[in-house]
Order: sequence, then C-alpha cells, then structure tokens
Amino acid sequence: MKAISPTLANVLRANRAELNTRFASARHLYPRLNSLVFGALLQTAVDELVQSVERVRPDRIGDVALAAYDAALELAGQDLIGPAARHPFVEESWRILLPKVAAIVASDPSRVIASVSNAVHQLATIPETRPQQWIEVMASLAPDCSDVETFLKLGQVAGWRAGLAHFRRSALAMADTLPERLALAAIGAKPDTRWAEARGKLLQNPWHNPAEGHNDITGIRLAAQAGAFRGFGGLFSEPPEVASAGEHFLVYSGGDCWLLTADAFGATFHRATKAEFEDAQSNRSLPTRVKIKGSHILLDEQPFEFPALGDYGSVAANDTTLALTGRFTHTIVLVALQ
Amino acid sequence: MGFLNVFQRVSQSPTNPHPTPTARAFDVADLYRGPVSTASGSTDPGVPPCDEKLRQAYFWIVNTAIISPHYDIEYNDGPPQSFSLGDTKSRLTLPSAQSYSSFVLLPLLTFAARRKCLFIGGPGRGKTASAILMGVIAGYSVREVRRAMQHGHPQMTIADLLGNPLPADLVNAQRIEDIRIAWRQWLSMRVKIIDEYNRIPTRTQSALLTVMGDNYAEILNHIYECPDSAWFLTANDDQGGGTYQVIEALRDRIDVIVQALGFNSRFLQDLLSRIEENIRPEEVVPRQIIFTEAEVDRMQEEIRAIRLPDEVRRRLEFFASQFEFCEVAAEQFEYKAKDTARLAGMEWHTLTAQETGRDRLKDLGCQTVNGLSVRVLMTLLIYSKALAYFRGNQAVELEDVRQILPFVLRDKLAPDTEAPFFEAPGHAVYRADRVGWLRKVFDLSCAEFDRLDLDREDAVAAFAAEFQRGLDGLSENETRSRLVKIERLITEWAKGRKLYGHLYDDLLKLKYLHQRYTNYLRWLKTQ
Repeated sequence: MKAISPTLANVLRANRAELNTRFASARHLYPRLNSLVFGALLQTAVDELVQSVERVRPDRIGDVALAAYDAALELAGQDLIGPAARHPFVEESWRILLPKVAAIVASDPSRVIASVSNAVHQLATIPETRPQQWIEVMASLAPDCSDVETFLKLGQVAGWRAGLAHFRRSALAMADTLPERLALAAIGAKPDTRWAEARGKLLQNPWHNPAEGHNDITGIRLAAQAGAFRGFGGLFSEPPEVASAGEHFLVYSGGDCWLLTADAFGATFHRATKAEFEDAQSNRSLPTRVKIKGSHILLDEQPFEFPALGDYGSVAANDTTLALTGRFTHTIVLVALQ
Repeated sequence: MGFLNVFQRVSQSPTNPHPTPTARAFDVADLYRGPVSTASGSTDPGVPPCDEKLRQAYFWIVNTAIISPHYDIEYNDGPPQSFSLGDTKSRLTLPSAQSYSSFVLLPLLTFAARRKCLFIGGPGRGKTASAILMGVIAGYSVREVRRAMQHGHPQMTIADLLGNPLPADLVNAQRIEDIRIAWRQWLSMRVKIIDEYNRIPTRTQSALLTVMGDNYAEILNHIYECPDSAWFLTANDDQGGGTYQVIEALRDRIDVIVQALGFNSRFLQDLLSRIEENIRPEEVVPRQIIFTEAEVDRMQEEIRAIRLPDEVRRRLEFFASQFEFCEVAAEQFEYKAKDTARLAGMEWHTLTAQETGRDRLKDLGCQTVNGLSVRVLMTLLIYSKALAYFRGNQAVELEDVRQILPFVLRDKLAPDTEAPFFEAPGHAVYRADRVGWLRKVFDLSCAEFDRLDLDREDAVAAFAAEFQRGLDGLSENETRSRLVKIERLITEWAKGRKLYGHLYDDLLKLKYLHQRYTNYLRWLKTQ
C-alpha cells in the first residue's frame, strides 16, 4: 500500500480531531461511507493533488488538503469516487486535471475541486456526452488560465463542447468574456479563425462545427441521431413522436415527455410535460421548405429518405433542423437544413 | 470549508415537486451544480421562493434538529397501504404522498402565518427546543431567543412580564405621563416564547392576555405597541392544570395545539451522535432557512392569497353548522344555541335529557357541548391556507382542512364524552384521542354532506347565489317569486323533518334572505 506523503500526513495529524469529527458527520449522512475506500483515496488522489500544490503554492497546502478531504468525503459517501464509483470520470479528473492546475486549485480549493467534480459528474450522468473529452480539453487549456474565474468559464464552454447542447446560448455568452485564443480553443476552432466569425456562425446555425474552420459543410445532411430504446439504456419505452418547440423539439414516448436540445456538439433531453407536448403539437407548422406528400418527405421539393428509419412516424422542423421519427425505431433523426 | 457539517445540510429544491410547465432558461452556471457542495455551503445559486424555503426549513428540522418520526399529517395520491395490528386492530397506514410531522409542521405554519401555537406534552420532549428553533429561523441568535423567552413561575409579576417604571421617575415625576417605563426586550421580538405558561399567576396571565390578544402592553397608562409576531407557548398539561388555572380567555387566544409525542427509542443513535459530536441543533441552523422580516411579511401576504374553493368552503360550512344548535335551549328560533344554555348556567345533562326524537348517534352536534366561535373558524381558514401554501399549492384542498382541523379545534370543540357516539363499539378511544375524534367528526360530516348530495343539490346555496347577484333592477314580481320560493322550501322542510344543526343554519340563512327581499320589496313599493 502506498504511504501518504509527509506533507499530507502533517496536515492530517495537525487537524486530527476536527477531521475525525467530519468523517463521523459524513458517515451520519452517508452510511455507506467506507473508511478503507476513503483512506485509499487520501493516499492516491488527495495526496497527488497536495503534492502538486506543494510544488507551486506551499503556503496553501493546508487549505487544499482540507478542501480535498471534505470533497472526497462527499464523493466517496455517494459512491462517486473510489473502487465502487458509478463511473470513473470524477476520479480521473482528480488525478489528471486537478494536479495540472494546482495553482488554480490553490487559489480557491473548495470551489475549484467542487466545480470540477460536479461538472464531470454531470457530464457522466447525461447520456451521449463526453466527460473524457472535457477532462482532456481542460487539462490542455487550463494551464493558460490566469485565474479561477477564467478557468471556470473555460470549463463551462468546454462543457457545451462536450455535449451539453442545452447550454449553447449561455456558453456562447460566457465564451465572449474569455480571451479570444482561449475561447476558440475551447470550442475546438481552427487557430486561424476569428472569434467574431466563429461566434456568428454558431449563433446562426446550430449544426456549424467550428473544427471545420472555413471549409464548413452546409446544406441538407444527416446531422445527428438522438435517443434510444429504454432496454438499451435510452429513454424511450416505445417509438417516440416529435413536435417543434421553437429552436428545440418536444418528444413524447410511452406517456413521458422531454425537451430535446441538439446542435453540432450533442443532444440532450430534459423532462417536459404532456401539456407542453400537446400544446406544441396543436400549433405545429412546417417551414415552407419541408413538405409531406403521402408517405414521402420533400425537402426543397426533393424527396428525402433515411432508409434506416423505415416508415416515418412523426415530423417536426424549425428553420435549421428537421426531426424525424420512425414507426419501428426508438431513434430521432435530426437533419441539418442549413 | 467545503464540506459543511451535516447538521447544516438543507434539503434540495424542489422539496415537494409539482408538475410545472415552465419556460426553460438553461444556464451554463448549472454545470457546476452537483453532488459536491462548495464553500458557500450551497450548490443552489438562487434564493428559493418563501414556500420552498419554508419546506426546506421543515425538512431540516425534521431530518436534523428534532427527532420526530411521527408522520401524523397524512397525504395520499393513491391508495395507501394499510395494516391492522394487535388485538384492537390498530390501523397503521403508509401514506402514498408526502406526509408531515405535526410537531414540526404546526409551529412552522404558526411562524409563517404569525399566529399562536401551544406545545403540550411531558417534560423533556422538545417543546422548548422547538420554540427556540422558531426564534432562530426568524433571524434571532440563540442567545437573544433564550434571553427573551419568558419562563412561567408562580411568583411572576406583571413587572417581570412587561417591564418596570424607572425608579428615579417614580420618585420625581409629578404626572403619571412623566414616568418612563423600561419595557422588557421580548415585547419587541417577532417570535415570542412563553415557557410553561400554565405556571404564571392568574393576574399576570391577564396582562399576558392583553399582549397576546391586542398586541400591546400597558403599564401606568403607558402603552407599548408590539409588532406582529408568532407566539409559542409550552405547557406540560393542556387541561388547564399546572400551578395556576389558565384563564379561559387566554386559552381561547391560542390558535393551534400540538402535542409532543414520545421519543422513539429506535432513534437513540441520533441522540448519541449529538453527544459525541457536541451538536446543538439550534446553534447550527443553516443560514438558507433563516427568514428576514420582509420574507415573513411576504409569506403572510402569500398565505392570504391562497384560494379557498367554494366546494371546500361549503363542506367546512356544513361541518361548522353541526355544533352550535341546541333545540331545547330556547323558544325563539335564533337563540336555540348551546351558548344560550351555557350563559343561563344550565347543566348540560339537564339539556340532553330534554332532547327530542333526533338520532343522537347520527347527530354530530350531540357529540359536543359547545359550538365553534368566529375566531376559531378564522383560525381554521388561515391554517388551511397556510398548509396549502406550505405544500406549494395555489388553492386549499379538502384534505388540507381535514388535516389541520384537529389541531385548531383541539381545545375549542369540547366533546360530550357521555354522548351515545362515544358508547358505540370502537369509539371509546375517542374520549382520549382528540385529534382522532375531530378527524372522525369531520369525516362523518363530509359523509353526510355526500349523502345529502349537497355538492349538486343545495337549494340554499342557489338562493344565496341568486341573492349575491344583487338587488339592483330586480322587479317586484321577481322579488315576490323569490320570497314564495323561500317559503315553499321552508314549508317542505317543515314536513316531518327532524331539525339538525345544518338545517338550523340553512333556515336562519333563508330567514335572512327572506328578510332582505321583504325589505327590498317594501322599498320598491315606495318608488
């Protein structure tokens, strides 16, 4: 078993009574909190972080160790870190990302540790998002952040890029406040792009991918597929139906409803009410570019076919996106119209 | 520190989720909300609405501060699981919706509506601790609350309670107005706590009555106006016992009575944790559940704005109409009330012996020796609204009234334990169980309301609605027609029907309408 570094051991020794009380309190709240698992966590993730901080801000070791101790208690108590964790990403973020931004952590340890852990956990629990990508993007760009605020803003923009499509507008506003180079890197744009240009395209077209730079693909094309059968870990117990809700879509399946938000970075579902769906259905109208003739869909007077879908079940569209569902599949097909 | 003491953990919103179609605004700041709390102790960036904050306060108290695993205010949104246990077939119900502990909920509603709550129960059951918590969530420090708490004792004088004239002024003043008074600090507080109020001498109780009832204190012609406040009183005995008999007017000012139930020994570990961790709940109240004065003001307004639907009000009217009527108390119709007999000093049993041929088992009025006062009905309405507000609803549900009613009427509707109802099989328990009895009476009242189909066929309500539309422009013919209709209805009712409380109230209402139309008709003839 790996021994705890003398640095962390000193902090633990100096605060022994207080830390024991906190552990007892945490066990009161999280009866499953395992002292062995927690001890192992102190020896690994917490110790590595403390040692990284020691190299850059030795004056902050105590605060970082105590903040990490508290956060580790909460995470271990909820089975979000350690061997019984529901996913590996929180622990990965502690071991890969946090040591790399030791100076940032040292500035506001409690806030940074909690924010990173919460962000990764949120990504890990939303289907089809990419927590691994978020950790990697942050690990590569965070050393360029001058302070905690910049680091957290970067994380928010990177969160959108990692698949949280519902944060699109809010993340774009956040990116406006970042240094241009950092904002462009956060969304994965080519280095020769200007932020104003990238921003304009992203605002205009949700299916614009900044990584394509000046050679971006436009026109009618299959943009994304979202949702899956509940038996395979998805949300839908039966083939869904869609209705347009402004720039988003409402989805109904087996008595449940969701709001679907989607763009080039991902697609996420959020609980909605049946009343919202019915309201959207009663007000449905298709853009003039989209026509339905019998069992065929015409886009700009051209037949649009997606064989894997079979017979279509429902159609909804807004200015940028066509959403299609099939009678026998649980997937929603999203077609970019721009 | 990031990981706050678990004793300061507040339940996450929404504490009582409702389906709410809302316009969504996705904020990327939410990315950092999650299972790990930040230094501020909260992952919630916004201030919740007051009703949500009130629920958070409830759940913090019930989960952390006061060990009260007694979910006696039961709600169901589907059939609950029910079990019969023991020789007496005691019923244990597992509610299917969010249910509450009255010992925690009632004080909180009292705090929110700024009313008066009496805690009763044996010593050491958390009565005073609950009252102190209410002071702390009102924003006072534990020290302030403790210092302001009035402890009843046999030597308590009016000066102890209210304040003293300044001794120098007593000597030098030429006029009584010149004597300055050093008012006691607690009078200015928005949460007032009187511990063991039944140990206060009778004369001092009268001074307390003025403060409780009229919200001012008086010494030597000097008046101190108190702010609106929530009152919490404790007593080891609610039957008026204690060192001194509690004066009836003072008891009548108390809005709700809540009983501190016994400690469940299965929760001894929680007590042990408190000892080992040296925790006093009142000292670790999370700041998120502390209310400002403006928030309590707002809560009062929001509670008043909760709607009481007509159909719920009608059932409450029907229930309330059962009790005051006493057919043999007077000759004149209007005075046929239990209060008439009480004022005349008649013995209750003399009255019941004269009872007519009514079914005394079926007549709910026979179960009580008194009726409901206006003050009690107003209290019932306010607490019903407060409960609906607490549950996050915009309107009172019948179940809200049913649940809150026993706590409001506990000391106000006195049972006649000699009544046939209490002799019926299985009903003897209601002689001791006031809460159960009152709920049973309300259920019986609602059942009778259903049997009479008053939701759909309520002639008096139809007449009242017709009258409510106003008399302006009403023709003589139409007025006469309405008078005839009223007379016909009374004639029909007079044919062999027994007189019960609800009919008595209906008849008085018909008489009122008849009189209004009669006066209007008379005026019309002069035009």
